[in-house]
Amino acid sequence: MFLQQLVNGLTIGGIYAMIAVGYTMIYGVIQLINFAHGEIYMLGAFFAFTFITFLGLPFYAAFLLSMLCCAVCGMLLDIVAYRPLRQSPRLAALITAIGMSIFLQNLAMVIWGSRPKPFPHGAVPAYFENKAVTFGDVSLSWFHLFIFAITIVMMVGLNLIIQKTKWGKAMRAVAQNKTMAALTGINVNRVISYTFALAGSLGGAAGILVGAYYNSLYPTMGYIAGVKAFAAAVLGGIGSVPGAMLGGVVLGVAEAFGAGYLSSLYRDGISYGVMITVIVLIPAGLFGKIIKETKKSM
Amino acid sequence: MKPILEINRLYKNFGGLEALKDISFEINPLEIIGLIGPNGAGKTTLFNCVAGLEKPSSGEILFTNNSRTVSIGGKKPESVTSLGIARTFQNIRLFDNLTVIDNVKIGQHCRTRTMFLGAVVRTPGQQEEERLVTDKANQFLEFVGLAGRGQEIASSMPYGNQRRLEIARALATEPRLLMLDEPAAGMNPQESRDLMALIRRIRDKGITILLIEHDMKVVMGVCERVVVINHGQWLAEGKPQDVQNNPKVIEAYLGKGAASAASA
Amino acid sequence: MGKWFPTKFRRGDIIRIGVFALALVVPFLPFVSDYLLHIVVLVFLYMILALGLNIVPGFNGLLDLGYVGFYGIGAYTSGLLTVHFGLSFWIIVPLAFMNGAIWGILLGAPTLRLTGDYFAIVTFGFSELVVLLITNEIWLTRGPLGLPGIDPVSIDLSLFGGPKWELVGELPYYYLALFLVLVTVFVMYRIQDSRLGRAWFAIRDDEVAAVSCGINLLAYKVIAFAISAAFGAVGGAFFARWVTFLSPDMFKFWESFLILCMIVLGGMGNIWGVMVGAFVLVSMSEILRELLPLLGLPVEVRFLAFGLIMVLMMRFRPAGLMPIPAVASRMKAGRVKRKKVKVAVGMKK
Repeated sequence: MFLQQLVNGLTIGGIYAMIAVGYTMIYGVIQLINFAHGEIYMLGAFFAFTFITFLGLPFYAAFLLSMLCCAVCGMLLDIVAYRPLRQSPRLAALITAIGMSIFLQNLAMVIWGSRPKPFPHGAVPAYFENKAVTFGDVSLSWFHLFIFAITIVMMVGLNLIIQKTKWGKAMRAVAQNKTMAALTGINVNRVISYTFALAGSLGGAAGILVGAYYNSLYPTMGYIAGVKAFAAAVLGGIGSVPGAMLGGVVLGVAEAFGAGYLSSLYRDGISYGVMITVIVLIPAGLFGKIIKETKKSM
Repeated sequence: MKPILEINRLYKNFGGLEALKDISFEINPLEIIGLIGPNGAGKTTLFNCVAGLEKPSSGEILFTNNSRTVSIGGKKPESVTSLGIARTFQNIRLFDNLTVIDNVKIGQHCRTRTMFLGAVVRTPGQQEEERLVTDKANQFLEFVGLAGRGQEIASSMPYGNQRRLEIARALATEPRLLMLDEPAAGMNPQESRDLMALIRRIRDKGITILLIEHDMKVVMGVCERVVVINHGQWLAEGKPQDVQNNPKVIEAYLGKGAASAASA
Repeated sequence: MGKWFPTKFRRGDIIRIGVFALALVVPFLPFVSDYLLHIVVLVFLYMILALGLNIVPGFNGLLDLGYVGFYGIGAYTSGLLTVHFGLSFWIIVPLAFMNGAIWGILLGAPTLRLTGDYFAIVTFGFSELVVLLITNEIWLTRGPLGLPGIDPVSIDLSLFGGPKWELVGELPYYYLALFLVLVTVFVMYRIQDSRLGRAWFAIRDDEVAAVSCGINLLAYKVIAFAISAAFGAVGGAFFARWVTFLSPDMFKFWESFLILCMIVLGGMGNIWGVMVGAFVLVSMSEILRELLPLLGLPVEVRFLAFGLIMVLMMRFRPAGLMPIPAVASRMKAGRVKRKKVKVAVGMKK
């Protein structure tokens, strides 16, 4: 039981991590909680579903194409909704983010209907079901391994991009100080768009994985996953990418154990509880810096 | 007579930056003191420490009012205001969306008490308090020269009037010590003269004044004593004319060699 | 002697009195059905809720995303007290008010010292936890089965040897709701023009300056949050006794967002603007609910529309349809552009 929950926890934790880094990167560069990020995750699943069902694309091709579409969606979200409000107070941007989230959720309902849908039969590679590794009474299917692999590859890849590439450095600069970054010749808006694209593609990937794993897609799936991933980002310290990754895994494991041993009814409550507790007690999270309200600036 | 404000060996660090280093000076009741120094010297930081917006790293600040001496270093800003110290801000901080008179009425907040029940039920006590607040607010507006402008929206007023409004609001807190942060900034000579007259009128009402100012005409014209700080440290102190000719002060503002050039 | 009536009547006042007079006679107009009355009562209910929420973002400049939590607490408390103890509505209302205020203090005291974003998130988490609790604690609330059989409101004068009337049909609830709205508006007006209201506006416009005038930020924010919660709970208490059935999915986050939409659309901080916003959104919601199926569109398009409206409002008219006077005069003076955004919406950068 323990090991099984651990496996479940790590699996879902990896997913949360992938979504959480999206929240944290966007908060890092524009100090906005992108409420609509969960919807990008949801769209990832639905795009893949559409590509497989209506274009007959094979799984991996649909996966990659969907990630690309989500990247584009992320950038559009920024350009259309958030960029015009760059100079406005945070309340306006937050309300816009919520508005976009509601809009996208319901748009998906209109387009794809509100009932949960499975992926078409045979869409997901068949051998995913098969057990790959077994120890004790715990088994990992190929799908589990696939998810682990994708998660790890994405996390490592993201870290490489952030630490080693020119764009990554630009992102870090913008996150630290937009004005200075602009003064050193960085095109801040372009960097922000790029951040949204990156966040979107990861979120979309997570969506496809979850949709395929549970074989159920529905337009409000982004809502609850988004909240949990945000809780993970807060736990890790909003603004810190390694924090979000760690936070995601920790939250996933905590949730699995909590649901397994304490109460499965309050599975979602664990995320809310973690989030509230972290924010109230240690707002900086595990790795983040406290973003103090500038009360004292004259 | 005990000084109204005593600053003893005040230090303030921000991380590695020493903004204030071993500052000590006194202000006696009813004096008008100028606090001057080059930009970045730490003057506003000093104000913030006194007013409670910053916590001193070490040292003490003693405020004496009605023979009671209180150590105010580290106290919250609301408490400092209640105790009798008011301040204005370098960059004017008004309540933009409120009327002129409401801005001043808010200054009276710390001298009044009505809360939710009183607001809704309008007890005779509450009505009397409101009447008093309104009357006093109008008096303060008249005092600073803004009579009749009560219903204007604060942010719609010209700059000079906004400064006056901020002073009226500070006066409404009924302070014993008023700290003005660059009140003459952006003023033309006539406005500066009006300001100096206002400062003297405030002092005549029994309020001690500490002011940060760069406009030397104002400093010379209205301050009885001047304290000079530079790089967070006390540099000189004395009558305005004496300080003006102090070679260390000249050097602080104009650089080395200017002192000898000035005395030549 | 306090001023009960203002001695000068301006155009705005005349319009309001006219609207009020109209409201008094609406139920007797020829084309008005019970269904239409039901909608208007819903409008009144949301006006109360919107006025309550308005205290936090509108008067204080803080974003509250968890208002539905208090609404739900008020509703279920009212429902359960009625079902188990048969308490009179007239006792439940003040109880709901106090209960709401207590929850507001409990939630607000540890969290109102946080920055605006974090506070918003915590309120959101709180309201989600409330829903989870209502859904899962079946022994208490019957969970997803819902809580039926809540007695309607009654006026019981039997203690004094008089009759007992039970409110049946929409008509009496119409006047009850109208009465509650008037009381709420009255309270809001009184607060607005008082030391408490001024302290709140000061906090909204400039926290540093407010503090330098002697205002204790945390204390006043908590009071604001508590009073806002109190009104939310009162709204919920009324709701329970009106629809006589409660279920957890009536109290989802969507409601918080909807009420927020009302105050943003109508004009944050402006008592009448907020009421207009409630009227417009509830009416629109009902009209769309009827209209959309006729156009062959799914009902979800309503929500789509609301989301879109919020985005557009924030972009083009963040001050709302009826901005607070200061912003309205600034807009009129032509200094429209970015400045109005900053001060209308209140929250600091």
